[in-house]
Amino acid sequence: MTDELGALTTIFTEFYYWITVVLMFLIHVGFCMYEVGASRYKHHQHTLMKNTMLIPLVTVTWFLFGWWIYWAFPTGPGLAPSIMNESAALITDESLFSAKWYLPNSDLMAVNLGDHISGVFWAAFLLFSWTAASIVSGAVIERITTFAFGILAIAIGSVFWSIDAAWGWHFDGWMLKLLGYHDAYASGVIHAIAGGFALGILIVLGPRIGKFSSSGEPRNIGPRNPWLVTIGLFLIYTGFWGFYAACNIPIFNLGPEYGMEGVTYFTATNIYVTPTTLSGITMNFLMSLSGGLLAGYVIAKGDPFWTYSSGLAGVICASAGNDLYHPIQSLIIAMIGVVIAYKMHYWVERKFKIDDAVGAVAVHGYAGFAGLVICGFVLNGYPSSGYSVGAMWDGTTYAAINPLGMFIGALIMFFVLGMFPGWIIAKVLHGMGKLRIPREVELAGLDYDIMEAAKDDEKAVASASR
Amino acid sequence: MATVTNWIDHLSASEVQGAIYPGVGTEGILVLILFVIWIGWHVIAAKQESSEHAKLARRRPGSNDWKSNVTDG
Repeated sequence: MTDELGALTTIFTEFYYWITVVLMFLIHVGFCMYEVGASRYKHHQHTLMKNTMLIPLVTVTWFLFGWWIYWAFPTGPGLAPSIMNESAALITDESLFSAKWYLPNSDLMAVNLGDHISGVFWAAFLLFSWTAASIVSGAVIERITTFAFGILAIAIGSVFWSIDAAWGWHFDGWMLKLLGYHDAYASGVIHAIAGGFALGILIVLGPRIGKFSSSGEPRNIGPRNPWLVTIGLFLIYTGFWGFYAACNIPIFNLGPEYGMEGVTYFTATNIYVTPTTLSGITMNFLMSLSGGLLAGYVIAKGDPFWTYSSGLAGVICASAGNDLYHPIQSLIIAMIGVVIAYKMHYWVERKFKIDDAVGAVAVHGYAGFAGLVICGFVLNGYPSSGYSVGAMWDGTTYAAINPLGMFIGALIMFFVLGMFPGWIIAKVLHGMGKLRIPREVELAGLDYDIMEAAKDDEKAVASASR
Repeated sequence: MATVTNWIDHLSASEVQGAIYPGVGTEGILVLILFVIWIGWHVIAAKQESSEHAKLARRRPGSNDWKSNVTDG
């Protein structure tokens, strides 16, 4: 870098994403605390380890193939041509944003003086991957094996979310062109897919022992440590700030990008390279959080577990369009999402005997799905991209945002890339006898041996005289 | 192994080489090693977990027995 202004812009962008990664780490800290707080004492340590070990597993596989998938799959393949090379094949050519540069043996996947952005961008996306896997982790606590969870975490974190991001969270994604899909802060591409994936697993995994009475009535296995749950959710809120920032490009000159001759227009943009402001989305984040908390408190009659979770569900529901909504629209959408998520959780629990231990399917899956559908109506007519505006199903241009396209998009996220793959992989693991821990272990507690060893240690130390 | 031995020479070259990690050109071998570590971890961890569960299942502790194992410091 020899031009000072260019260097400042590049290094500012590099530092911007680096900060978002640090902030987003708090999401994982929060999820760990939340899960331990929601689990029973006899399962604490294994619950914590299960969620912790997804960090290295998803990171390694994101390095090996997850990041490559994101850059290779925007065209489907075969569904809509890329605007870079006009081919509908996998993007593995020599073009600027080709997956070729992100193979694990590429020299851009390391310290490289010629590239200050790829690594921090890789890391920002990786932290989204952890979040997707961690959402699933909470739903399946106290009865899944760590082995099975590791495989499922890799599947959602390094494969299916990466495909959905390529399809619907990429400036060249086919879902923008054919459907007019818009999901600025990931109502669908992270939350609906992870919630759907968790639901698919839960159908196969079954409930915890004792969750349902012999007559099928659900019993409450409430959080064992509400204070840890509280801190966990506050940390997730905090990390969500970083998540919102990481979904933006902080500074971009849209004039030349859109081919407008003689126009210079610097702005922040969302992932689709359409303009927004960090200032505006900050208002929307806080107003949707507030809407979620207000609705959650009332609908759950002050139950702290649901009130805190509803704050999160509110933000998730408004996230698809929070780059453009008015703050009051954000608040109202958040409230609607919370009511839908809460009602759906208990209806599905009773009707299908689904034991979602932390309400993850509701908070992420149902609220995310609802957020996409609502976004289709509220942002109806907005362009899904700045590059070219066309009709639905055209494919060579970008469709405008519309209710039908967003509804189809929600189905793709929740069912096609979420629930079905989760169900299929869980079925395979179940067939191998590797999905669920033995009944005796579930009853005794996953931590039984650890606790017994701790008691023996304590006895030995207490009886020692020197 | 060293890719850079003199920063002044490196940065004043007509075209600065971006990759500066040791062993440029051995990326393929490094990826292979990472792949083996990844799969190997699953195999070893799965065996450990199965054996731990089988051992505990054979002992069949009751669902409240863990309470007598709670330590207080």
